[in-house]
Amino acid sequence: MTTRRFAAFSLPLLVLLGSALIRAQSPTPPPPPAAATPAPPSQPSEVTLELSRNQKAKIRLAIPKYAAAGFSGAGSAAGTELETTVRRDLDFSGYFEIQGPEQLAALNVSGDLLRDRDVYRSAGNDVLLAGDLREEQGKVVFEGRLFDLKSGQSILAKRYRGSFATARRIGHTFADEVIRYLTGGAGFALSEIAYVSERGKIKEIWLMDYDGGNPRPLTGHRSTSMSPAWDHAGDGVAYTSFVNGPPGVYFAEVASGKKRPLITSGSLNISPSYAPDGGRIAFSRSVGGNIEIFSSDAGGGNLRRLTQSAAIDTNPAWSPKGGTIAFTSSRAGNPQIYLMDEEGASQRRLTFEGSYNDGASWSPDGSEVAYATRRDGRFQIAVTNIVSQETRVITAGPGENESPTFSPDGRKIAFTSRRSGTKQIYVMDAADGANVRQVTTAGSNDMADWSRPK
Amino acid sequence: MNRKALTCLILAAAMFPLYGCPKKKPQTPVQDLNVDTTTVQPTAPAAPATDVPEPVAPKVDDQIEDRLLSADLQVVNDELRRRGFAPDVYFQYDEATLSDETRDHLSRNADLLKGAPQLVLIIEGHADERGTNEYNLALGERRANAAKDYLASLGVADGRLRTLSYGEERPVCTESEESCWAQNRRAHMVVTGRSNG
Repeated sequence: MTTRRFAAFSLPLLVLLGSALIRAQSPTPPPPPAAATPAPPSQPSEVTLELSRNQKAKIRLAIPKYAAAGFSGAGSAAGTELETTVRRDLDFSGYFEIQGPEQLAALNVSGDLLRDRDVYRSAGNDVLLAGDLREEQGKVVFEGRLFDLKSGQSILAKRYRGSFATARRIGHTFADEVIRYLTGGAGFALSEIAYVSERGKIKEIWLMDYDGGNPRPLTGHRSTSMSPAWDHAGDGVAYTSFVNGPPGVYFAEVASGKKRPLITSGSLNISPSYAPDGGRIAFSRSVGGNIEIFSSDAGGGNLRRLTQSAAIDTNPAWSPKGGTIAFTSSRAGNPQIYLMDEEGASQRRLTFEGSYNDGASWSPDGSEVAYATRRDGRFQIAVTNIVSQETRVITAGPGENESPTFSPDGRKIAFTSRRSGTKQIYVMDAADGANVRQVTTAGSNDMADWSRPK
Repeated sequence: MNRKALTCLILAAAMFPLYGCPKKKPQTPVQDLNVDTTTVQPTAPAAPATDVPEPVAPKVDDQIEDRLLSADLQVVNDELRRRGFAPDVYFQYDEATLSDETRDHLSRNADLLKGAPQLVLIIEGHADERGTNEYNLALGERRANAAKDYLASLGVADGRLRTLSYGEERPVCTESEESCWAQNRRAHMVVTGRSNG
């Protein structure tokens, strides 16, 4: 919250700093190089425009080592963490081709940005990210700025202050600002992933930053808890737990850690999924041994039955725009993904390839679902467009890839794989499965649910 | 520790030497049978196979009923098995249908249960590790209920039979191979108490 306040506070700064910032940087401001023409006001948006014309074109970003001052031991570590976090976030976003301190080392720069910008440009950079870190009164203070190297203009300037413990969060916040400014899209550096961590035969619900940082348990039932599902506002997580015997649906509030049972009557209630307005929850429930999809209100009352088949109907996923629920049914002989409306009408089959398709997860724009598909005896992640039904399989090889979930911007998918031996959570590009990054390491980790767009 | 938890512990100690996975010891036998209470934590030590407690002679205090009940259930489950009760019946991959062999086993189970109408049975449904955890919970529920429905169809009162699906969460065997998976695709039946009626 602290960082948010400072982010908001710094907005007027952007106006104030403007191009004057460059001059403030150097003790003796030299006149602009003769070749420099005054930048048209539209300069930054040209960068954006170029990107939107060709999604493959990356913004070439130079990030020299941040200036740092006044640091003690702990503060220095926080500063390094902040710097690393910004770099990793921007790198992983896929929008940038970054030259960091190691690539820039060979350049003959003076430390004066105005004088150096042609040097950075000639090395192939469009934009420069300059960071200034200092420790003040036991807090880390960070100023991050973007310079358009063509015009020499400062195009974004943000200042943050927080305890050493907020270093990662400050880094994530600034990274999202940079992405928003340069691409026009919302980043996901501040997003979180709810997941299941198994340690010593106990499965608890955990939360972590999207990149695997800051992992922390949300439940302490010392039982088997699974299938976490963020609520619409990101305030809490519904999940399945055996904590009171039969599997039931429970809710944990993130801020307070308070838990409460939601749907626990009968022998089995599992796999919750929230409607986008948070008003209702879809889940599966045993009716005399047959598993059907139901919905309840947010408190677990007012149950409505949505499916009526003699086969297994389970694992509902409410579409992010509302109106549709994806689910798994074995009514055609093996598990396949189906769609229906929120009241259970218009049930239709979505997947036809593969003998086992389960665990649907919607893209944030509601155009696609990702799921686990069995191909040649191995589980892979597939994505199907719900209109065209066009399907792409985006993982390959061994490892039992399961449990996909989209990033809030829809450009990434987190999933579970056993490719390293134990079950761990990885993140990859939603388009083609490229740029795989492992985000968990401790214990065995599964069933990621990425927080929704804010 | 409450009565049921204690029952489970002793029951588990008695059962698993005979019915554990032949390759590996079951991981959480106590939890496996703890179907009705939260007081037994998954970290409770597995009952050692060599440490089967003898039935304890009743003492004249509040513990009498607990210990007597515990001892009785152990004896009952032992005795049922001696008479041919099958505590586990097995299923094909992604199936909850009963084979002829399974029906034979359940038929024998039903006869024995009808001969002891006071006994209450829990039927656990289990799945192998393949497929998603959520789907396997559903599959386990169907397996447990397939066994339950068949027992009921043979005249065992419905009210004596309770189901609990563990999906793939409580395997008796943890190797990733078919011989092991086959042991995990099962409905597991244990007498857990006596009906009041």
